[in-house]
Amino acid sequence: MSALGLGMAAALLAALVAAPKFGLVARWKRHRAYRAKSRSEDALKHILAWQHRSKLATLESLAGTTGLRPAAVLRVVAGLQTAGWVESGAGGIALTASGERRALQVVRAHRLWERHLSDDANMPMGKLHQAAERAEHSLSREEVARLDAHLGHPQHDPHGDPIPRPDGTISALEAVSLNEWPVGRPALIAHLEDEPQAVFRRILLANLRPMQVVNVAESEPNHLVIETDGGRHRIERSVAANIHVREVRPQDALPSERTRLADLAQGASGEVAGLSPDCQGLSRRRLLDLGLTPGTQVEVALDNTFGDPRAFRVRGTTVALRRQQAEQVLIRPIRSPDGAEAAP
Amino acid sequence: MTSASVTPQAVLDRSDELRRGLDGSFRDYMVASLYERAGELAGRSVREHGSGKWDFDQRIDRILTSRWLGLPVMLLLLGAVFWVTILGANIPSQMLANAFFAVEAAAASWFESVGAPWWLTGLVWHGIFRGLAWVVSVMLPPMAIFFPVFTILEDLGYLPRVAFNLDWLFRKAGAHGKQALTMAMGFGCNAAGVTSTRIIDSPRERLLAILTNNFVPCNGRFPTLIMLAVIFVAAAFPPAVAALAAAASVVAVVLLGVCFTLGVSWALSRSLLSGEASAFTLEMPPYRRPSVLRILYTSLIDRTIFVLGRAMLTAAPAGALIWILANTQAGGVTLAERSIALLEPLGTAIGLDGVILLAYVIAIPANEIVVPTMLMCYLGGAMMMDITTYEQIREVLVGQHGWTLLTAVNLMLFSLLHNPCATTILTIWKETRSARWTALGALMPLGLAFLVCLATAQAVRLLPL
Repeated sequence: MSALGLGMAAALLAALVAAPKFGLVARWKRHRAYRAKSRSEDALKHILAWQHRSKLATLESLAGTTGLRPAAVLRVVAGLQTAGWVESGAGGIALTASGERRALQVVRAHRLWERHLSDDANMPMGKLHQAAERAEHSLSREEVARLDAHLGHPQHDPHGDPIPRPDGTISALEAVSLNEWPVGRPALIAHLEDEPQAVFRRILLANLRPMQVVNVAESEPNHLVIETDGGRHRIERSVAANIHVREVRPQDALPSERTRLADLAQGASGEVAGLSPDCQGLSRRRLLDLGLTPGTQVEVALDNTFGDPRAFRVRGTTVALRRQQAEQVLIRPIRSPDGAEAAP
Repeated sequence: MTSASVTPQAVLDRSDELRRGLDGSFRDYMVASLYERAGELAGRSVREHGSGKWDFDQRIDRILTSRWLGLPVMLLLLGAVFWVTILGANIPSQMLANAFFAVEAAAASWFESVGAPWWLTGLVWHGIFRGLAWVVSVMLPPMAIFFPVFTILEDLGYLPRVAFNLDWLFRKAGAHGKQALTMAMGFGCNAAGVTSTRIIDSPRERLLAILTNNFVPCNGRFPTLIMLAVIFVAAAFPPAVAALAAAASVVAVVLLGVCFTLGVSWALSRSLLSGEASAFTLEMPPYRRPSVLRILYTSLIDRTIFVLGRAMLTAAPAGALIWILANTQAGGVTLAERSIALLEPLGTAIGLDGVILLAYVIAIPANEIVVPTMLMCYLGGAMMMDITTYEQIREVLVGQHGWTLLTAVNLMLFSLLHNPCATTILTIWKETRSARWTALGALMPLGLAFLVCLATAQAVRLLPL
């Protein structure tokens, strides 16, 4: 009886350790494989980033970003060399052509995943990078292709970085740092650098978003004063270095006489001027599908106990929007609540 | 490239290539041009007869969603639904019970007279038939009233207004505004409520709605709440307002369920399901005149008969099981007494008793049979003929089995919070395809129910009340 019990316990234990899929050994192996993959991919990204700055990565720089011990860094680099992805020379470590393609694939997965989190899951900008750092290593190439198609082949990630194409090419970012932009000329934010995090948080605090128009009002030795539709902000030059801007093109321009749907008073009405550029993906499609296309008349129909959401009359239907959504609809006011027409 | 070399595949490849080069704004142009064309067609062929209907709807909406009246009107409507149900269900329930138990007595004596063995008579008539009789008489009248009345509200187009009124709370809890709609479905049946969460696109918020749907008391649990409300709350008030008081207490329980829904959603969206509220848009359809035939069909055939049928399917084996437990002896004690004694300490700790817990164990397949199971256990071999009015039930529970106000309150809480029935658990699995979420959906409410009941029981016992 007790022998039987012991035998069963031993069998159970053996299964727990050695089961092909769920056993501890299998789990440990999977974990090791994932760790090795993510380490070598992180190393590829680092070498690529340095190459973009026209520098060669070194063992020291690799150890610095990855936080690995020197011996582990050596192992990773040796692995990359065997795969034919990097070449070490006198000045440091360089990517081979195939290594660059591989690195760009990882970057592609990262940026598409950020786009997905931002568009589909409404994740705030400040959290995207961390989440994508984890996801980029576990997405297969087919999954990345499906994600790309699902998102409608986006060209930029939520920060404005170009997304590498499936063939491993990438378009250059045509933008200069805000520090180099002349005072008094409107500029369009093309890209916000999300690393280091402390600087990025400072950018988010000023409520800056890609595709937003900014104006440099004052340029001082240590800081800039910029104007956006959200107000005036004082920005240190070290922060401004991480904001990249370009010329405003006619198709980027939004009408100047405008307000947001969320700010219309009860009973007021207006005409849709467009959707805010930082509203992308699912939420943009939803708003468009409801008929909030440029030129559509909108009227504030209902308030509720909490003042949020509010319902709007659009094309003969009543649609409720939360404040966050209503803020993304830009409006040319037509009529104030007392019925007076707005000045043309 | 000459025209001969253009193959369909080449065209597709070329369009694919060009497609990748497009930026997102082409969607905007597409939708805008579709709407423009549709507006053109509508302008040519649709004639509007003034704006009377819209103005009327608008006036109603101004009241139903107004800053001060919106929520009170919602509570009043909910209370009215329960009040009508309680008022109307009492007498038909008694009549059904009387009729069924007359049949049981007659059939049992006929079985005896033709010499059927005692266990056959017992199993068929005092087990299976009695289980069915209790389920039908306790459940059918409230359901046959509640479902049509609720369907009227649904058919009028009122439910989206509820979602509109409550959305702010759900947003604060990190949940989706349409969760209010899935909760309304849960009033009918939690399994249906879980299925209805498909209207929520965001997977995170959909999971929240699935995991918390159980905190809306479904129709299978209403009879328990209504019975307790009538026996313990209504009895404390003068007859004129008794039904109102009972309805108010059921509304209070439902509100408590809403609080738990919001609280648990809030906690989950800051722990296991962390994330931000997704985009929310809700269309508010115009009010429409309810169609009597459709209401009768949906409420009676689709809902009442469906739910009752499911309850009967589980009540028959449950009735048989209870009879067997009560009539099989091991060591001179019946199995029922043994299991009750086993569960008694746990039951007492959380302010209930062993019978109630046994009823909940037996009622895992369907919550509808909790009250019938409990009554069958309490009454044992007593003839049902004598126990059909709520006063008599009160007599048995308070007089013979030591129920107190604490038992009633905790049973209401337990009934509101405890684990979903087997059908709902199965539905959660079908909708999530994940054993982990299913387990959480079943065990989290159960744990919460035990904790809350334990807390109230201990608080009441420690406080000098």
